[in-house]
Amino acid sequence: MATDTEPKAAVRAPAAARGPRRRPGDTPGVFGTLSHLALLVWAILIIGPILWTFLASFKTNTEIFGDPITLPASFGWDAWGWAWEKARIGRYMLNTIFVVACSTAGTMLLGSMAAYVLARYSFPGNRAIYLLFVSGMTFPVFLALVPLFLVVRNLGLIDTHLGVILVYIAYSLPFTVFFLTAFFRTLPTSVAEAAMIDGCSHTRTFFQVMMPMAKPGLVSITIFNVLGQWNQYLLPLVLLTGNVEDRWLITQGVANISVSAGHEANWPGLFAALSMTIIPVMIVYIVFQRQIQSGLTSGAVK
Amino acid sequence: MRHGRYPFVVGFLAAPVLLYVVFVISPYLQAFYIALTDWKGLSATPRFVGLENFTRLLDNEAFWAAVRHHGVLLLAMPLATIVIALLFAFLLNVGGGQRGGRMTGVRGSKVYRVIFFMPQVLAVAVVGALFQAIYRPDETGVVNGLLAKVGIEPVGWLIDPDLALWSIIGVMVWQGVGFYVVLFSAGMSSIPKDVFEAAALDGAGRFTLFFRITLPLLWDTLQVAWVYLGIAAFDGFALVQVLSVNLGGPDNATTVLPLEIWRTAFGPFRFGYASAMGVALFFMTITFAALTLRVTRRERIEF
Amino acid sequence: MSNSAGTPGDITRRQMLRRIGMTALVAGPGAGLLSACAVGGSPAPAASSPATPSGGAISAANPFGVAADAPLEVVIFKGGLGDSYALEVHEPLYNKKFPQAKIKHVATQQIAQTLQPRFAGGDVPDMIANSGTNLMDNGALQQEGQLLDLTELWDAPSIDDPSKKVRDTVAPGTVESGYIDGKPYLMNYVFSAYGLWYDSALFQEKGWTPPKTFEEFKTFAETAKSAGITPFAYAGKNAAYYAYWMILISAAKIEGNQFLIDVDNLVDGVWQRDSMKQSAAAWAEIGKYMDKSFEGLIHTEVQIRQNQGKIALYPSGSWLENEQKSQTPKEFKYALAPTPSVTAADKMPYEAIRAVAGEAYIVPSKAKNPKGGLEYLRIMLSKEGARGFTEKSGNITVVTGAADGLELSPGNASVNAAQNAAGENIVTYSSFENWYKEFETELRKQTNALMFGRISADEFCAKMQAAADKTKADSSITKQNRTV
Repeated sequence: MATDTEPKAAVRAPAAARGPRRRPGDTPGVFGTLSHLALLVWAILIIGPILWTFLASFKTNTEIFGDPITLPASFGWDAWGWAWEKARIGRYMLNTIFVVACSTAGTMLLGSMAAYVLARYSFPGNRAIYLLFVSGMTFPVFLALVPLFLVVRNLGLIDTHLGVILVYIAYSLPFTVFFLTAFFRTLPTSVAEAAMIDGCSHTRTFFQVMMPMAKPGLVSITIFNVLGQWNQYLLPLVLLTGNVEDRWLITQGVANISVSAGHEANWPGLFAALSMTIIPVMIVYIVFQRQIQSGLTSGAVK
Repeated sequence: MRHGRYPFVVGFLAAPVLLYVVFVISPYLQAFYIALTDWKGLSATPRFVGLENFTRLLDNEAFWAAVRHHGVLLLAMPLATIVIALLFAFLLNVGGGQRGGRMTGVRGSKVYRVIFFMPQVLAVAVVGALFQAIYRPDETGVVNGLLAKVGIEPVGWLIDPDLALWSIIGVMVWQGVGFYVVLFSAGMSSIPKDVFEAAALDGAGRFTLFFRITLPLLWDTLQVAWVYLGIAAFDGFALVQVLSVNLGGPDNATTVLPLEIWRTAFGPFRFGYASAMGVALFFMTITFAALTLRVTRRERIEF
Repeated sequence: MSNSAGTPGDITRRQMLRRIGMTALVAGPGAGLLSACAVGGSPAPAASSPATPSGGAISAANPFGVAADAPLEVVIFKGGLGDSYALEVHEPLYNKKFPQAKIKHVATQQIAQTLQPRFAGGDVPDMIANSGTNLMDNGALQQEGQLLDLTELWDAPSIDDPSKKVRDTVAPGTVESGYIDGKPYLMNYVFSAYGLWYDSALFQEKGWTPPKTFEEFKTFAETAKSAGITPFAYAGKNAAYYAYWMILISAAKIEGNQFLIDVDNLVDGVWQRDSMKQSAAAWAEIGKYMDKSFEGLIHTEVQIRQNQGKIALYPSGSWLENEQKSQTPKEFKYALAPTPSVTAADKMPYEAIRAVAGEAYIVPSKAKNPKGGLEYLRIMLSKEGARGFTEKSGNITVVTGAADGLELSPGNASVNAAQNAAGENIVTYSSFENWYKEFETELRKQTNALMFGRISADEFCAKMQAAADKTKADSSITKQNRTV
């Protein structure tokens, strides 16, 4: 569906923009209608699938494999009960919240420390360390999977949340450092210098002067990391093996149900599980959408 | 500023660098070595085979199909995402024309922005599972069910070899647009209003506003967007794995390098061979990033 | 599987199983059997396994010398068979014998992703049900010395009758089907019959009978189509192998089981033999009646459609009935039909079906408690273990007579009937699926291309021959060989 309409929307762009040439810069006419139409179509494209998933969780297998554009015959919560108890979505969600909270905090602390030093201090090897971090952005994770497993296992951290947290931090550092280094460079040097003259140590200057100044950038990259780590799929698959199902993260749980639906054919259960993972994220998003949106981008456009 | 400087630098860098070297750099270095061996991922002693794995890549059809697909992804996905996102960002910020001497977005722009961004907060695993039902090839699929209502035959979104990759690109665009709408909106709002107002006073239409003012002033942001999207174009694993026919099919029509790496590594355990593909992917990604940054470097417009 | 002991059904089943052994032996000189005996005569040389950790004493009841308190880790593929058979039958049986042993049960659908890194790290479980789409490559495991030679198991005394060896309590051919490099590394446990599955109630209602030749198949296809039912379908998205099984079975019916052996041995030109071309061409004709959309569906999606009466014939194995248990309407009755004859000169008659031991269970050679793993397998191969498996999973095992007295489901009853009808005409197993994973991947790809009309039968054969040649020429892939 998306592919079908995108080109149309894209084609509509110049047409819509051309419209007002005859009636420059005034109230919406044809242009307004067209732009509303384009926006509306896209909005439906976004909401439609999500809503459909939610409705499908109330359907039966037969209904799911029947006419897709109908409402479920009845609204029962069986599939939801199944997803919660049997598929343990709740458990996975709590695990994920814990892991992501810790790893994001760690990423921000270590990432901003490294970025600050790299941005504001010149010392031999500065450029090399910076490049070392930044080049990490281009590494395909696949390449490292097995050696990574061995490293983590040799440290005795396999199947532990601590292992996942440390690995998440390490793999989030490249982008975080890249982003924050650029951000710290844009901050005026005068304030920090003043603080130093007043006798602040480097460390205090960082935590008490620079960190507050860098808040927009920090917020932005924090959100970026929360989203990225929340959605991580491959790393937990390798780091939290089938031995410790009770420590699994949400994406593993969803993938597992997705595969099991192939064997046990519990499609409503799958959609209930999907809805369960979607709804809390949506609520958090809608509540904090202003902060998320402004935060996510305020740094990126600097 | 000289006082206690090195201890501070070392102290601040030690933990992040250590963590990074242990968990990121060392596995990658090992991977580069593994690419030169026939390691099956099982035994402790890999046999060194030189460049054999790389020469074997030369006549690996699936590998080259995957490389071509990254080429397509690299052009189409960022382009579609950026064009759509730019259009919407423009409509949401400036499209409403002037109101009370200010440029405004169309009505309801806040709601739209919230909605557009939604897919961004969904895990790729979730998005994949969701689109499985959307794209199902017969009339029980959501899209085909809708088409059936208006009498159109079901379309094989993921089974037609000419269409399958585009369907998957569609999902990527679906998920990505919201983020870039917000990104470009932020970029646009940082363009001083008087620039727009002055242009509007000169009688510039929306078309002119967009191409003469918005676009050039957004150049930096566009470049950032292109790099982000380009790096994403070298992945695609989760979506292809969940959505494609027969993993990367039909007939290799949707395969991507991460999938081939995964298939080679976890099927027959040919870790050496899989790592060689990984190394190839690494060089492609890094070449892209370097090229983009070079080509798009333009004089920055200061306001 | 069968009725109570002594009923005709039971006798025929035993005869049938003996006959499978016959065919297996006829196909080759029985070299595999002989060599296996030569290697594993005495239970003493457990060469590849590390010395028993805390060493239990070897006794008649404990032939492997399992340490009674050694923990045991069991990894089960939780697919069509579920995992309750392990959780509720085999593991309790093991615990009954060794009450101090702590059993760790792991169930997963992603065998390879879960276990591969563990193999790399040397931290492996003691027994694995290596199955499913994401199974590990047994050939690779064996090459890396990761699999325990099961000769010791097969030569151990049976739990039910210590005067018999375990190998003598299973369907003949079972041990050989688990050979890699001439030794039994895999314990193939589940006995499955393959063919075209249909709803006998629907067929009765419509007055249809399954087609016996491909000419009839086409006529049948037209009839079914005009009744609004897809005559034949499989799931291209993740079960292309269901279709290539049928193509291979047909080729074997034309040429005899030697064809399957030659395919496994990568014999030059085997994919371009007339038998293969005829089979591929015949199936491609049937593929034309299949809606294109089936290429984008997964097997459960297609199976649901069959349950809904929208598909007449579905290629699969006898686990299907149980897999679909919760989805099948009451009036739906699974039945098995053999694949139709391709030519009048086929070596095997229409009634021939493929009936083989499948679902590999393995013991890693570097396991911490490999003796426990072997004992676990021996328990699985006891009558009690096998019977419990059949009760929990609805599938019969290779253990002779273990399912006697259990009530037959419609599907299993029809398997029984089909096997009786087939007599000695049993199509045997393929090993390339275990030996050459990349080749198998290619076969899946090309099967979809053939069945959904993108390539001709000749192109299919040419492409598969090229893939076989490439595998053969690739020095990094260790070649296997089978004679039976």
